[in-house]
Amino acid sequence: MALFIHAVEQGLIYGLMALGVYVSFRVLAFPDLSVDGTFPLGAAAAAALIASGWNPFLASLVALGVGAVAGAFTGVLATKFRIQGLLAGVLTMIMLYSINLRIMGRPNLPLLGRPSALALAVGTLHLPRPWGTAVVAALLALGFKLLLDLFFHTELGTAMRATGDNPDMVRAFGMNPETLVILGLALSNGLVALSGALAAQYSGFADVGMGVGTIVAGLASVIVGEMLLRPGSVIWATAAALVGSCLYRGAILVALRYGGALGFTASDLKLLTALVVLGALMAPALRARLKGETA
Amino acid sequence: MILELSGISKTFALGAERVEALRGVDLALEEGEFAAVIGSNGAGKSTLLNVIAGTCRPSRGKVLIGGRDVTRWPAHRRARWIGRVFQDPLRGTAAHMSLAENLALALRKGPRGLFPLLSRARRRHLEEALARLGMGLEGRLRERVDHLSGGERQAVTVLMATLARPKLLLLDEHTAALDPANAEVVLEVTERLVAQDGITTLMVTHRMDQALRTGNRLIMMHKGQIRLDLGEEEKGRLTVDDLVSLFRRAGVADDELLLAGAPANGGK
Repeated sequence: MALFIHAVEQGLIYGLMALGVYVSFRVLAFPDLSVDGTFPLGAAAAAALIASGWNPFLASLVALGVGAVAGAFTGVLATKFRIQGLLAGVLTMIMLYSINLRIMGRPNLPLLGRPSALALAVGTLHLPRPWGTAVVAALLALGFKLLLDLFFHTELGTAMRATGDNPDMVRAFGMNPETLVILGLALSNGLVALSGALAAQYSGFADVGMGVGTIVAGLASVIVGEMLLRPGSVIWATAAALVGSCLYRGAILVALRYGGALGFTASDLKLLTALVVLGALMAPALRARLKGETA
Repeated sequence: MILELSGISKTFALGAERVEALRGVDLALEEGEFAAVIGSNGAGKSTLLNVIAGTCRPSRGKVLIGGRDVTRWPAHRRARWIGRVFQDPLRGTAAHMSLAENLALALRKGPRGLFPLLSRARRRHLEEALARLGMGLEGRLRERVDHLSGGERQAVTVLMATLARPKLLLLDEHTAALDPANAEVVLEVTERLVAQDGITTLMVTHRMDQALRTGNRLIMMHKGQIRLDLGEEEKGRLTVDDLVSLFRRAGVADDELLLAGAPANGGK
């Protein structure tokens, strides 16, 4: 039961990150590696502010803001300076590694004894013990999911979806697809950084290395959710990202607890995650091959 | 004057070679004119449309739309006044979005805000617009565009390009990738929508019969220049055979002519 509750808590906190990856990877069709830098950026910014006495809600909000700025930066590199999307993301990620160290002043910043936005919300809402954090995480994740759903049905949000589909068409109707990519990456990385800020408060520390593999974890969540729910609309696609994230975190917790019996250690996690994503990405080609079609 | 091109030249560097796609083109279109542009492959027809739409900047010369010099404007800014349909039916619509969402994005031009895209009134308006196509698409607003056939998709693209009533409509061999029956339907829809709003139109085609039958002006291009420019009256008297001999006189070799005169057989 405790494992289940933890899976839901972590799944929803990291679910905000999965929503962010959904925006860049699926909506904009932009494989954005900056998330490996903006997740710890959010954690570092929030942790540093909380450690210096800031209100944790305000600190989390600032994390969202700086994440959005970093995402916009990647967008500007990729559009205005025509740097390949993957490379633009990697450059931002590497820059953020140094910046995150600067923000924290050291590689690891503990938050023991400091207030956390999640714990404060549990207290304010008088939620019962074992489920309190999960309920707060659910309210947050569903709230942002709803906001995204609404946004993607506005004129601007629909134009953003069209950008990933057909930038020529977006241009033909008088919008600049470059602006929409920059805006979309800001939105995506804002969510990822907020997720990082909450993850730091949840686990009680921010670490400069906590972003490694964020993109793969995000993709795994999005893809697992899609395989399960087969979404045909934005509303289902965002739901799939959250469900996928919970399943993914659950799988990790199970692997950590029982994997030892099979000879796995925590350090094997990244390999296993990447293999899951690889499997999902290879599936269409494999299926075609099994049916005897040549790609 | 809706469109004025003066002294437009465009040179591409193809490796060590320099290709002159346009060589001093002057062209003016008045409000309500529907000009068909014909020419052999490599005559510069598509480059001409690209220069007007702003996806290609001319090496020399000026582009004026509605009297305004837009030569240095990016494509998305000119799009306010221009509708465009490409040969490939996939290029005009967003495949993973619904028919309603595609059409609603086409209702107006320019940057967007945070208003809901689809209101009840808008849905009804779009349904009526679709009904005017006469293809039975009005009941399929919620369907994804990639569920439509090529002909349906291209007809929708033409509707989208004219929905915001542009000053100028650019058609780039927009029926060439369709089978003859669908090409006929899309051309008929195009003529109807253009006539309905009196939209000034420039239509590139490689089919002589289409060029003769459609519109009220005929422009023939060869090797980056306009060789022939006929008004409605002269055009009306012309037959395909006349056009072929005009082509010959303009110095178009017979083998190029065959290409240009061949009826559409499903794209190039």
